[in-house]
Amino acid sequence: MFILIGIVVLMSVLNPQRFPTLGNMISMSYQLPIIAFLSIGMMVSMLGGGINLAIISTTNFTGIVTVLLLRAIAGEGAAEANAATALLAMAGGLAAALLIGALMGWLIAYVEVPAILATLGVMTLLDGVNVVITKGYTLSGFPVFLLAIGNGTVLGVPIPFLLLIGVCLVLGLLLSRTVFGVSLYLMGSNPIAAKFSNINVRSILVREYILSSSFAAITSFVMMGQLNSVKANYAESYLLVAVLACFLGGVDPFGGAGKLSGMILSIVILQLISTGVNLLRMDPFFIQAMWGFIIILVVGANFSRTRLRERKRLREIRAARSP
Amino acid sequence: MLKKLLRQNETYLGVLIVCLCIAISIANPSFLSFENIAGFLKSYSMVGIMAVGTLFVLILGGTPDVSFTAIAQVVEYAVVVMTIAWGGGIFLALLAAALIGALMGLANGYIIHYFRVPTIIVTIATFNIYFGLLYVITRGKLINNIPQQLKDFGNFLILPTQSKIGGTYGLSLHPIIWLGSLLLGWFILRKTFLGRSVFAMGGNETAAERVGIRTRRVRVFVFAFVGFLAGIAAVVHVSIVQSVVPNIIVGKELEVIAAVVIGGASVFGGKGSVTGTFLGVVLFAILNNGLTLLSISSYWYDVAIGVVITAAITISAYQQLRQSRRRVNVRIEA
Repeated sequence: MFILIGIVVLMSVLNPQRFPTLGNMISMSYQLPIIAFLSIGMMVSMLGGGINLAIISTTNFTGIVTVLLLRAIAGEGAAEANAATALLAMAGGLAAALLIGALMGWLIAYVEVPAILATLGVMTLLDGVNVVITKGYTLSGFPVFLLAIGNGTVLGVPIPFLLLIGVCLVLGLLLSRTVFGVSLYLMGSNPIAAKFSNINVRSILVREYILSSSFAAITSFVMMGQLNSVKANYAESYLLVAVLACFLGGVDPFGGAGKLSGMILSIVILQLISTGVNLLRMDPFFIQAMWGFIIILVVGANFSRTRLRERKRLREIRAARSP
Repeated sequence: MLKKLLRQNETYLGVLIVCLCIAISIANPSFLSFENIAGFLKSYSMVGIMAVGTLFVLILGGTPDVSFTAIAQVVEYAVVVMTIAWGGGIFLALLAAALIGALMGLANGYIIHYFRVPTIIVTIATFNIYFGLLYVITRGKLINNIPQQLKDFGNFLILPTQSKIGGTYGLSLHPIIWLGSLLLGWFILRKTFLGRSVFAMGGNETAAERVGIRTRRVRVFVFAFVGFLAGIAAVVHVSIVQSVVPNIIVGKELEVIAAVVIGGASVFGGKGSVTGTFLGVVLFAILNNGLTLLSISSYWYDVAIGVVITAAITISAYQQLRQSRRRVNVRIEA
């Protein structure tokens, strides 16, 4: 929280004309949901002790499937298609994403492939398929309904932002108030204990990756609406940002720990930094290097925090033992 | 003897490679010519050298290193700039490359050991730092005036032969360096205490620590070795393509990791062989070369790689699963 205020103040001081303006806040509320959906999808996969490296590829794959379906149904008039057609195509795209999630979950749960490698393999595969389908071209021309998801507003609030709030509420309930959510945390912190507590670890894993992929689908719809186009390699650089957001948000990469509130805070911080440095016109490659530095800093900070906590506990144990 | 062979991953890989060779050479007989084989061995020697480093990381256990391509990219740029500015022969260039690479790998090793974070996360971060800073400093400029000594090194041929259409061809030095790094890797892994420690740590790090292996030294060595090989690979690469494009090596990391995994290195650590790694890289080289000779669109290459990677990882995990079912498994948390 202090970091958040610190960054707002720092950016406002560095760039008083552009940063603390209403226009900037509104433009951030359009960009934020994309990073947020991806990061939350990543968090879901990390809660169970895994990682979903294929999340960006799944996002692009969903977009491409949606466009192809849209063209197959509406033919030449894809850009004028009505809401029902668009919804149908989106349902197809969502189904494709869920299928990918199920495939990854199956590989991880039943074949016992380590998550990092299973998702890496699926990522390479999907990237290849995406390029083959689109031949590297950008596909564009979407109906009004889809564009509204990305750009529309309700009472002045951007629709992507509303979607984000809705999704966070649902996910928050899912993680804290359902059997699935609690089992997921338990499985992440100790899969063997989870198994002996009569939790079907495999089914939880499959559902976890399906859930994670559904976030890729939502991201895809919002991105399609905002960019009015689909391409094989959009948003590749967000993979790193999504991992970083999880670290900053206090998600344990070994699983079992991480809260949605921490994630939201860290996503807002990252968005502020990213908008801030963009407005300062920094070199994009410098920004890339900076993300790397921030990851190492955060990792180091997390490490020293756990170290301190361990030492404190040791001291307490010793104090309790000594007469 | 036969039973032992049948249990080994390398045998299956070898059979697969032979089958592929037969299939491709039936479709296009020029595949088996000396010219073609020397050609694809040369173009894959960079991947082959890097693969030896990745093998060490996978045996050590945990997740793969992904930053070595960024290291190679930085080294490539640095060595060419240094050779242009100060001169110096090919040996000096190789030495400088190995040194810079090893230092960059060393940084990875220390961070991973001290913070106890998964390798992939630290190396994703250092990848972005190295690569981002390279672009910031060089502004993405290409270098085309490669010094003559590097070009000579790239053009040197063993057994030069005249081809029918007039050009000369032969075995270049690059596959020899690849072979050298394979031998070095084999020697360290099989014949030194250090190499056995890498295996021990991959099998069970806590146990390795308790029998007195200095885990920090071993880990730092492995990552420095990865950087060392990345540096050598960078010089090999620049002498083949004879220009420096600051983003041409990055993006190869998945192919390298995949080749090593296909070569039988266990993704759970503690298992892997130099022979398997060699065969894995050869498989990719043949796959790539074959797709070109059969004139299949290069778009499909990525799909083919993806299928091979996913299949190989799945099969490797499945074998592990079957083995672990056969014996009683007692796991004690560290």
